[in-house]
Amino acid sequence: MSVIGHATEAAVASAAAGALCGAALPGRPRVVASGVCTAATGAAGLAAGTAALRGARWSAFLPGVLPPTGVHLAVDALSGLFMAVAGGVILPVAVYGIGYAAGHTGHGAASRTAQAVLPLFALTLLLVPAAASVCSFLLLWELMALTSLLLVLAGHRSGPPAARAAVRAAGLWYGVMTQLGFLLLLAGTALFAARAGGETFTALRDGAHHLPSAVRGTVFVLTAAAFAAKAGAVPLHPWLPRAHPEAPSHVSALMSTAMVNLGIYGLVRTGFDLLDGGPRWWWLGVLATGALSAAYGILQAAMASDLKRLLAYSTSENLGLALIGVGAAGLFADAGGGAPAALALAAALLHLVNHAAFKSLLFCAAGSVLRATGLRDLDRMGGLRSRMPVTAGFFALAALGAAALPPGNGFLGEWLLLQSLIHGLAVPGLVTALVLPPAVAVIALSAGLAAAVFVKALGVAFFARPRGRRAAEARESPPAVLAGMGLLAALCAALALVPGVLGDGLSAAVAATGLADGPPLTGGPLGVRLDRLATTLSPLWAACALTACLITAAALARLLARRRRRGNARLWDCGGGAPTARMAYTATSFAEPLQRVFDRVLAPEQDVRVTAAPESAYLVERVRFRRRVPDRFEHRLYRPLLEAVTALGHASRRLATGSVHLYLGYGFCGLVALLLVLAARP
Amino acid sequence: MPGTLHAQLLDLVCGAFLLAAVVVLWLRQLASIVRAFALQGVALAGIAALLDGHDSRWELLAVAVGIGLLRAGLLPLLMRRALTAVATGPAPLAGDAGGGASGSEAGSTAGSGGRAGGTGHHYAEDVSEARETQPLVNVAASLLSAALLTLLAYAVARPLVALHPTPATRALPVGLAVVLIGFFVLVTRRRALAQVVGFLLLDNGITATAFLAASGVPLIVELGVSFDVLLAVLVLGILTTRMRAAFGGTGIDDLRELCDR
Repeated sequence: MSVIGHATEAAVASAAAGALCGAALPGRPRVVASGVCTAATGAAGLAAGTAALRGARWSAFLPGVLPPTGVHLAVDALSGLFMAVAGGVILPVAVYGIGYAAGHTGHGAASRTAQAVLPLFALTLLLVPAAASVCSFLLLWELMALTSLLLVLAGHRSGPPAARAAVRAAGLWYGVMTQLGFLLLLAGTALFAARAGGETFTALRDGAHHLPSAVRGTVFVLTAAAFAAKAGAVPLHPWLPRAHPEAPSHVSALMSTAMVNLGIYGLVRTGFDLLDGGPRWWWLGVLATGALSAAYGILQAAMASDLKRLLAYSTSENLGLALIGVGAAGLFADAGGGAPAALALAAALLHLVNHAAFKSLLFCAAGSVLRATGLRDLDRMGGLRSRMPVTAGFFALAALGAAALPPGNGFLGEWLLLQSLIHGLAVPGLVTALVLPPAVAVIALSAGLAAAVFVKALGVAFFARPRGRRAAEARESPPAVLAGMGLLAALCAALALVPGVLGDGLSAAVAATGLADGPPLTGGPLGVRLDRLATTLSPLWAACALTACLITAAALARLLARRRRRGNARLWDCGGGAPTARMAYTATSFAEPLQRVFDRVLAPEQDVRVTAAPESAYLVERVRFRRRVPDRFEHRLYRPLLEAVTALGHASRRLATGSVHLYLGYGFCGLVALLLVLAARP
Repeated sequence: MPGTLHAQLLDLVCGAFLLAAVVVLWLRQLASIVRAFALQGVALAGIAALLDGHDSRWELLAVAVGIGLLRAGLLPLLMRRALTAVATGPAPLAGDAGGGASGSEAGSTAGSGGRAGGTGHHYAEDVSEARETQPLVNVAASLLSAALLTLLAYAVARPLVALHPTPATRALPVGLAVVLIGFFVLVTRRRALAQVVGFLLLDNGITATAFLAASGVPLIVELGVSFDVLLAVLVLGILTTRMRAAFGGTGIDDLRELCDR
C-alpha cells in the first residue's frame, strides 16, 4: 500500500478517535483531545495530498462499507491538491480551535456535540475529493453538509436571544439550501450514472462520450448549479453570509476555505474530467456566474460592518474569481487553445490555495477579536492594535494577501488569472474576443475593491481609538490561538514568497483533468515560469526589492529627521478640542463613498432623522442615522419565492378540512387515476 | 383430471372471496357486514390452501390455517365484541355534552326522515349504532362502482397475467379488485366499524394478491403481517369505544372537530 493509503487510514483512525474523545471526555480534556485528533487528521490529509501531488496514485474498493455498491476511493493529483489544501488548513485551525473553544464557551464551540463532530467534518473534507464513485461521493458530500450544519448550529443555545435567533435562521437557510443543492446533485449524478451505464468514475468517464448532448448538458447544468451553490456563487449564495458568521470561528475558517473549495473541485471533476469538456455555453455560464459573484461579493463586503460577514462575502468574491478561471479554461479548451486553458485552470487552482491560506487566517484573527471583545461589529471596535498586537499583525498579513497586492500571497493567483485571460485573446473566436475584456475588467474591479475592503477592515478594527468599553478592555488571546494563527501566517508567507514549490503540483493537478498537453507552468524555489508564454515571476525577488525600498525609505526619513530639531507639541485639532473616538472613521463612513458610487446596484436603505432643539429649529439636538444594505438577490429573488411558497402552503390548508373521508378519498382517487393511466397504456 | 378440478376449485374460492367483498358493500347491518367479512376470511384461507407452491406444502397449509383462524375467527370476534360494546354500552359522558350533541343530530335526521316519510323509509330508527345508516354513496351506486373497480382491476392486471398465465395468476385481478373495493368502503362508509372492515378488506386483498402472484408467502412474512393486522384491529376497537365516549356516536365525521383551524 502506498503512502496515500496509509495516510488515509491514519486520517480515518484519528478522526474516529477524535469523535470518540469529543463525545466521551469531560470539559477541557475533551477540547484538547478532539483538537489534537483533528490536527492529526489534517496532518495525515496533508501528507496524502502532498504524496499525490508528487505523482503517487492510490485507489481502494471497500465493498462492505456501503452495500450494495461499496465505497470506491481513488486519489490522483487533482484530488491530492484539494486534500493537501484541506489538510494544510485543518492542521493549524485545529490547533487554533483548542485555544478558541477552551476558555470561552460563549459560542457553544466546546460543547460535546461540536467537539465530537469537528473531527468528522475534517475527515469528510479530506475524503470528498478522494471519492471515486457516485454513491461514495454523494455519501461523503452529504456527511460533510450534515456535520457542518451541526457545527453551524453549535451556538444555538448560548448567548443572548437575538444571537440565538440569528444562529437558528442561519442554520435554517444553510440546511435548506444545502439540501436543495444535494437534490440537484443527486438528480444530475443519477442521470449521468444511469445513462453512462455505471456509477464508478471510470465507468462515467468511458460512458460520457456516447451520451447525447442534451443529456450531457442537463447533467452539467444540474451538477454545476449544485457545486456553485456550495461554492457560494452569487444567485445561490444567501446561506454563505449567514452561516459563516454564525459558526464558531474555527469552523468558519474551515467552511470558508476547505468546504467551499470542494464546490470548485466538483465542477472541475465533472466538467473537465468526467464529461471531458463541453460546448461553449456551459463555460460561458460558469464564467458569467463567476464574474457576477466576484463583483457582487466584494461590493457587499465593502458595505458590511460585521467583520465575519465581510469575510464571508469576500469568500464569495474569491470563489467567483476561481469560477472565472474555470469558465475561461473550458472556453479556451472548447476553442482549441490548450495552453491558455491549462494556464487559466492552474490560475484558478492556485487562487484557491492562496485564498484558503489567507481566508482561514482572517477568520481565525476575527475569531480572536470576537473571543477577546465579544464584538463582530466593526463600528464598535477600534484601537485593538495596541491591545492585541499579535492578532493585529496576523490580520494585517492576511489582509495583504486578500487585497491581492504584492507581496501578499493573493496577488500571484490573480496575476496568473489575468495573464491567462489576456493571453487567451489569442485563441481564435468571436466569443473569446467579446467575453474576455469584461472578465478582465471585473477582476480588476474586484481587486481594487478588495483593497478598499481590507483597508477598511484592518484600519477600522485595529487602528484609531477604541470606540467602546469592550474594545478598550480587550486582551490578547491565549497561546494556542496564537500558535494556530502563527502556523497559518507561516503558510501565507511561504505561499507569498516561494510559490514556485507549488508549480509542479499544480501542473500535475491540471494534467489530471485531461486538459493539458504539457505542463502549463514550472516552478522553482525562486519563481514561477509560464512555459508556454515565456513569462517569469519571482515573488521572492519582488518582495526583497520591496522590503529593501521600504527600509531605504525609512532609513532616509530617519536620517533626514535627525538633522532637524524635534519638539513635542499637541496635535492641531482645528480648535475643536482633543480628538475623540467618535471623530475617527467607522466602517460605515469609510464605505460611504463606495456606497454612493454603486448606489444603483446596492440600493441601500438610508434613514436620517434630525431632531431640533425646542428653542430653535436651527439648533440640532440629535441626528439619528440608520443605514441598511440589504442583499438585493435575497430581496428580489428569494423573498418573492419564499412568499409564494408560504402562500401555497396556506392555500393548501384548504385541502385538509378535517374530514377523514376526504383524506381517504384523495388516496383512493389517486390510486384509481394511477391504475387508469396504467391500464390505458398500450 | 385433478389439474382442471384444482383450477375450478381455485376459481370458485376466488369468486367467493370477491363476492364477500361485494356483499359487504351491499349490507347495512354492521353485524351482517362482520359475518360477510368472516366468510371472506374463510375464502382467503381456501385460496392459501389451494395454491401449489414451490416449497413445502405443509408450510402453506399452516399459513392457510393461521389465516383462517385469524381472519375468520379472531378478527370477527373482536369486531363483534366492539359492536356490542358500542351498541349496548352506557350512555356517553353521563349524557351531558356528548349526549346533547347526539340528540340534536338524531333530531335533524328524524326531521329529514319525516320529509321523506312518503316514500316509506324510516330514517329515525337508523340512528342506532348497529347500522351503517347513510353511506356517502348509496348502495346501488356502490355496487355499480364495485363492478367498475373490478373491471379496472382486470384491465390493470392484464400485463401481469400475460407474464405467466397459470390458474393462480389468472385469478390475480380478484385480489386487486378486493383492494379497490376495500378502499372504496373506507372512503364512503361513515361508521367506525365499517371503516375497520374496509381496512381489513384492503388487507385481505393485499394478502390474496401476494398469494396469487407469488404462489404462496413464507410463514414468517405472513406471521408478521397477521400480527400487524391484529394490533391495528385492537387499536381501532379501542378507538371506536373512545369515540363513542367522546362524541356520543361512531360516525367518523365527528372527527372533523379535531381539525385545528
